[in-house]
This record gives sequence, structure tokens and C-alpha cells, in this order.
Amino acid sequence: MDFQLSSEHLSLKESVASFVKKDHSFDRLRDLRNDPLGYSKEVWKKMAELGWMGLIYPEEYGGLELDFAFVMVLLEEFGRGLLPEPWISNVLLGGNLVLMGGSESQKHEVLPGVVSGDLMVTAAYLENDGRYDIDFCATSAEQRGDAYFISGKKIFVLDGLSADRFVVTTRTSGSVADRNGITLFMVSSQDDGVKLTPLKTMDGRNACILELKDVSVPGSNVIGEVGRGYPLLSEAIDQATAGLCAEMVGGMHASIDLTVAYLSERTQFGKPIGAFQTPQHKAADLFIQKELALSSVYYAIASIDEKTDERTLAVSIAKAKCSSAYMEITKAAIQLFGGIGFTNEGDIGFFLKRAKVSEILFGDTDYHLDRYTRLSGY
Amino acid sequence: MKVSYSSDEERFREEVRKWFEDNTPPDVKDQTLGGSTLEHGLMFKWHKTLYEKGWISPEFPKELGGAGLSETEQFIFNYEYSHCGAPRLKTKLVSLGMLAPLLLQHGTKEQQDRFIPDMLSGKTIWCQGFSEPNAGSDLASLNLKAVLEGDHFVLNGQKTWTSMADHADWIFLLVRTDSSGKKQEGISFLLADLKTPGITIRPIEALTDHAPFCEVFFDDVLVPKENLVGKMGEGWKLAGALLQHERLNAFPVGELIYAIETVRKNSAKTIYRGKPLIQDPVFRRKLAALEVDCNSLLYTFFRILSQLKVGSAPGPEASFLKVYGSELYRRVMDLNIEALGPYGQSWYNLEEFDNSIHQATMGWINSTSLTIWGGSSEIQRTVIATQVLKLPRK
Ligand SMILES: Cc1cc2nc3c(=O)[nH]c(=O)nc-3n(C[C@H](O)[C@H](O)[C@H](O)COP(=O)(O)OP(=O)(O)OC[C@H]3O[C@@H](n4cnc5c(N)ncnc54)[C@H](O)[C@@H]3O)c2cc1C
Ligand SMILES: Cc1cc2nc3c(=O)[nH]c(=O)nc-3n(C[C@H](O)[C@H](O)[C@H](O)COP(=O)(O)OP(=O)(O)OC[C@H]3O[C@@H](n4cnc5c(N)ncnc54)[C@H](O)[C@@H]3O)c2cc1C
Repeated sequence: MDFQLSSEHLSLKESVASFVKKDHSFDRLRDLRNDPLGYSKEVWKKMAELGWMGLIYPEEYGGLELDFAFVMVLLEEFGRGLLPEPWISNVLLGGNLVLMGGSESQKHEVLPGVVSGDLMVTAAYLENDGRYDIDFCATSAEQRGDAYFISGKKIFVLDGLSADRFVVTTRTSGSVADRNGITLFMVSSQDDGVKLTPLKTMDGRNACILELKDVSVPGSNVIGEVGRGYPLLSEAIDQATAGLCAEMVGGMHASIDLTVAYLSERTQFGKPIGAFQTPQHKAADLFIQKELALSSVYYAIASIDEKTDERTLAVSIAKAKCSSAYMEITKAAIQLFGGIGFTNEGDIGFFLKRAKVSEILFGDTDYHLDRYTRLSGY
Repeated sequence: MKVSYSSDEERFREEVRKWFEDNTPPDVKDQTLGGSTLEHGLMFKWHKTLYEKGWISPEFPKELGGAGLSETEQFIFNYEYSHCGAPRLKTKLVSLGMLAPLLLQHGTKEQQDRFIPDMLSGKTIWCQGFSEPNAGSDLASLNLKAVLEGDHFVLNGQKTWTSMADHADWIFLLVRTDSSGKKQEGISFLLADLKTPGITIRPIEALTDHAPFCEVFFDDVLVPKENLVGKMGEGWKLAGALLQHERLNAFPVGELIYAIETVRKNSAKTIYRGKPLIQDPVFRRKLAALEVDCNSLLYTFFRILSQLKVGSAPGPEASFLKVYGSELYRRVMDLNIEALGPYGQSWYNLEEFDNSIHQATMGWINSTSLTIWGGSSEIQRTVIATQVLKLPRK
């Protein structure tokens, strides 16, 4: 049992931190609110040049082949600055599904593009009436000859507006909530019958509704085996969720730092408001929540890295903890900032919005508590 | 990064687990939740069993009667101890847990040789005389007077909330030896034999209907000079060192995990309208939320242990373990009693119902004191705010 980071982890942490400081600012977030994509292609390109898209991918596809703790380190620093670039969706969802389930030719076709930052791939799996369930899939794929014809509608596709490719869940057998019978297909945004409706999330990033009308794809676009898509999707989403949790913890650190600094400098009643016991005790609670959330992330990340059987459970523990902690921390932070906390002129509000989006992404606290009870065999 | 124990650690864990499984007497088992209610005779017998095994203070070096365990092994040991259902050993809590490490650091050779072996064997039971009626959280306001006259200190005044004083042989005390300067500076650390003439002990009945603690009165009590620990006026510093030592162990996470597992078991056994309570959608979500918090705290201990392995000792930031742990334990006890439904109001019906109901109600009452002693939650939050987050004091 060892939760120590190595010097290589720490040196990545340093380079990411200095990148975030140099190439990113809250004013950039303010500007990007009006950009349909909500992130910058130049920054994305720079990140790719630093090798960060290939962090955990094998060297043969241009990756660095590092362990999963590097994901934690990278995303925690992104989270401190609230970087809006679509790293999680491309690297841990879209690209990851190809890496885990794709054929050699699919991998060679897709992964080098993800690593270079030139090809954008995400996953489309959420549907109306299914809330957060990733096994709820009504989108159909019908085989006619060599091709499959896909029809259905996916909602809140993460970073979907900028995607060139989508890994789409479809139903090839079974009923709407069966785990068996889900098949993953690679669909291009240019395919006939594909319609994207742009969406914005509260934190200024993009998503989309993806509608598919009789979209024809060749059988060679199946990722993994027909009817066996669920385990792949579940594994990728677990990894993406663990990564998201690390990003959330970074946001918690930063929110607390900003709040403590404000409490120390803002004077009312003749002294810093941080000298009054009510804000002090609130701040202590936020610190405690952050520490616990951080521990849950270490456990989840290490479980994934070690591929233990407990990793799925560990991810749900981490996501349940991080969702509630990040919300509690950012809501209290707004309160402790007073009026300025409720404005776009202050920075703290960005964290509240990101916390809400992160809470919902990959399932909220109750979703993960329920998943935890099922995995624990209650 | 690694989540699993090394193979040596895993072997040790299995050894400890097996030993406790085979050797914990049935009347000692499943007493964790009830806390302080284990009958004293049983407690002394259990102490002796552990002593004979060499496991009464396994964290001590071998030459001092311990087993020389590493930090991780000690954690594993404590965890497995609670996990088998054995209760917190009050016969060693303040002696081997607090006083012995202090004597090893700051006591004389004579004091170490005279007192530590009897702490290990259980021959001498100690109690902690810090709190007074007007010195609780504000401990430095204490006022038990000790005046040096020749070879003896003469003590006059009172201690209170002294746990186990009515079963103890000796007491370690913070006393006031000087009232002229800053209040922290005139405090000294003394050891006193409770049989000394002039000492009166009055048990105080707690909400459990037991008397876990006492008032201790001192009326011209003579304490030999050689029973001073450290120098005159060093008592506050020593108390700080002693409580510092306590802080990492201040919250036994194994007990918490035992408690939450008990809730899970109890709620799986409890039937509500033909189905186990644990399948009730509201109840199971509450239980899951607590399990998530308990696990997060357990992982926090893992994280701190990893830091200790490379030699970085946690400072004041470790105080959150006690605040959060004790408050979480209270929430777990709340749910444990909730799971019982009507049985949750039961009081000492040991003959009629099984022990788990008694443990639940007793544990629930007992848990309300966890956030008071050992630094109240309020005091600890202020410590975190001012010493960890460095918020201004005024
Ligand atoms: C939407 C909105 C509309 C508003 N409209 C108006 C308006 O029309 N006209 C107008 O005049 N004002 C208006 N206000 C201002 C509002 O009255 C102030 O925001 C409020 O009085 C708090 O002051 P502050 O923002 O300076 O926060 P601060 O007073 O700096 O407080 C910051 C934090 O410290 C806490 N705090 C401060 N002192 C203590 C203490 N002694 N003990 C413990 N905690 C303390 C506060 O509770 C808060 O959490 C508006 C504010 C908002 C958000
Ligand atoms: C079961 C039990 C066993 C004990 N065993 C021992 C023992 O063996 N030996 C021993 O010496 N003592 C023992 N104690 C005493 C314990 O250490 C004290 O109860 C504790 O220090 C609190 O002191 P108090 O009870 O006087 O409460 P007070 O200090 O009077 O506090 C009352 C309330 O006010 C709050 N408060 C106090 N100061 C502040 C502040 N500055 N800011 C905000 N809130 C504040 C406290 O948090 C608490 O909620 C025991 C207590 C209990 C309950």
C-alpha cells in the first residue's frame, strides 16, 4: 500500500502547473463564454505538442505509455485552473474506447490523430429517459448486408460540437436497458444522416445533441464485438470518471485557496472576516471535505492503475465523494465571498459552475451511491 | 502508487486477524460499539492475555516489551484488533498510549524503569488528571496548586472527568506551581499514587448509567519531588507533546469500519414488510453515503501512512482526523439505532434481546461524548483554520 507520487509524477505536476499559469487565465474563460466551442484550438495544439494527449497510450501510437497516476497529476492541475480543453473526452473516452476495444487497424487509424491533437473523438451514450444510466440504449443498429443502419438520439455528448468522430452506443439485441446487446460503432460527424445540435454547459463548454437517421456504417466500424459494447464503455467511463474526480479535487484546492486568501484580506467590523469564528469553522470544514475527496481519488486511481477487482467500486466511492464535496466547497465559497461571489467579475463563481457540471457528468452523487449499493451486493 | 499491502504486510495482517479470531473470548467480542461499558474484571483479564502474547503495546521496541512494529504494521494491528470486535482497552489508553511515550522522551531512567513494566503487565492502572471544573477546553487555566516544601509537593485542589480514577492506582497530573507569569508557564507535570492520604475520589454517573469518570479531590496531598516529570514549569510543553502523540491515534478508524459493517449486517438481518431493511431504497442510500465517507476516511489514513513511510510526519493538519472521525462515528451510530426501529429505544434489556441491541443503544449514547473530549470539535476547527489554513487570529 503506497500513495506516494514519484519524482516523475511531481515533475509532470510542475510542468502542467506552469503551463496553466502561462497559457491560461480566468479572463480566457470569460472570453470563451461567447465561443461556441468554449476552448481554444491553439492551446489544444500546444498541449498535444507537450505529449499530453498520448500520456497513457502505448508508444507504438505515439504515446508516452505512462501509468494512470500521471492522469491524476495532469488533471488535478487542469482542475486548479479550470482548463476548458476537451482532454477527458478525447483521451479517456473516445480514444480510450478505440484503444481498449478497437482492432489494430482502427487503433492505427485513430490513435496517432488523437495523440497529435488533430483528430477529435468523443463518446455518445446518454439518452433521454435514461438519466445517467449508460446501459439505457434505445438507439438501434440494424444489419442490412455488410452495413449497419443506425437511428436514434444521444444527448449531452461531451465536447460533441468539436468532435470529428463519435463512438456511439447502439442496440443490436435485447431490450432498452439490457447490458447485453449494446454495440459500439465509430460514426463520423460527416456521415449522411448525422445531425448535431449545439449545446452549452453551465461552465461555458460545449456539448451537443447527436441525432442519427438511418446512418449507414460498415461492419468494420464496430468497436470490439457485436453485442459486447457495455463492458468496454463501462471501463472507459470508469477511467474518465476517476480522471474527472482528480480534476474536481484540483478545483477544490483552488477554491479553498482563493477563499482563504479573500477571508484574510477582506475587512469588515474592523478586522479580517477570516478572524471571525463562523467563517473560520466553515473554512475548516471545506478543508476536511477536500482532504477526504483527495483520498478517495488516490484510491480510485491506484485501483485502476493496479487493475484490482475493486476498481469499479472505488470509482463510485470517489465520484460520490467528490461530487458532494466540490458542491459543498464551492457553494460555501460563494457565500463567504459575499456580493462579489455572485458576479462574473470575481473568479470564484467559475468554480461553482464547473462543480455543478462535474457533479452531473458521469452520474451525480445519488447515481453513484446506488451503483455502489448494487456493486456491494446489498 | 499501490492499493494493496505488500506480501509481508499481508502475511502479518492474516496472522493478527487469525489470532484475534481464535483468542478473543466470546464475552469480550462484539463489545466495540458499547465503548466504555465492558466490565472491569473482563477488561483486566483481556489485558493480561494480550500482555502474555507480547501484543499489549506492539508498537514499542522489542527491548521495551513491544513487538517493534512499523507504522504500517501498527496500523494493521490496531485495525484488525477493532475489526474482531474487541473493545478499546481503557487499561492502556492513557498509560501505554500517552504516558509511556512521554516518559521515554522526557522522563528519567528511574521513572521509566519504575513505571513502564507495570503499565505493560497491567499491574498498575493509570488515569489522566488534566481537566478541572474551570479548565476544560481552556486547559491552561487549571488551578490544582502544588507547592514545593522540602522533598515534597503539597497538592490542594480538584480534577474532574478523570476516566477510570476509581479503578486506577496512579494518576498523572498537570498542576499549578506558579501563578505569577503567563498561565501556561506556571504548570508542571506530576505523577501521584492514588492511595496517598488526602485524595478523595467521587465517581460521576454518565448518560450510560455507568460511572466512566470521577471527580478527584486533593487535600494537603504529599507527592515526592522525584515524581516530577521534566522540569518545573515545563508541564504545558509536555502536555502538548503527549497530546501530539495522541493525535494520530486519536481516532481509531478500525472501530469506525467495524461500526459501519455492523450497521450493514444489522440492516440486512432486520426485516421490514417481508424484505431486508437494507433493500429499502431510502435506507440503503443513507447507508451507502456513510460507507463512502467511512472509506474516504480510511483511505486518508492510508495516505498519511504513506507519508510516514518516507518520514514526513503530519502536523496540525492531522487534527481533522479526530474532528471528522468522531462526527462521522456519531452519524454511523445514528443510523445503527435507526435500523433497529422500535428496538432503538431499548435500555439494558440484555436478558430479553441479543447483545447487538444493547451495543447499539449504548454505543449511540457513548458516541455523543466523542466530539467533546480529546479536543472538542469546535476547538479543533479553530486549530485547522488558524494553524493549517493560517486564517488570522484577530
Ligand atoms: C444580488 C444582490 C443584490 C444586491 N442589491 C443591493 C442593493 O440593491 N443595494 C445595496 O445597497 N446592496 C445590495 N447588495 C449588497 C448586499 O447587501 C451585500 O452583498 C451584503 O450586505 C453583504 O456584504 P458584502 O457583499 O460586502 O460581504 P461581506 O460583508 O464582506 O461578507 C463576506 C462574508 O463574510 C461574512 N461575515 C461578514 N462579517 C461577519 C461577522 N462579523 N461574523 C461572521 N461572518 C461575517 C458574511 O456573512 C459573508 O459570508 C446586493 C447583493 C447581491 C448579492
Ligand atoms: C467521556 C469523557 C471522558 C473524559 N476523560 C477525561 C480524562 O480522563 N482526563 C481528563 O483530564 N479529562 C477528561 N475528560 C474531559 C475533557 O477533556 C473535557 O470535557 C474537554 O476538554 C472539554 O471541556 P469541558 O467539558 O469543560 O467543556 P468546555 O470547555 O466548557 O466547552 C463547552 C462547549 O463550549 C465549546 N467551546 C469552548 N471554548 C470554545 C472556543 N474558544 N470557541 C468555540 N467553542 C468553544 C466547546 O467546544 C464545547 O462545545 C473527559 C470527558 C469526557 C466527556
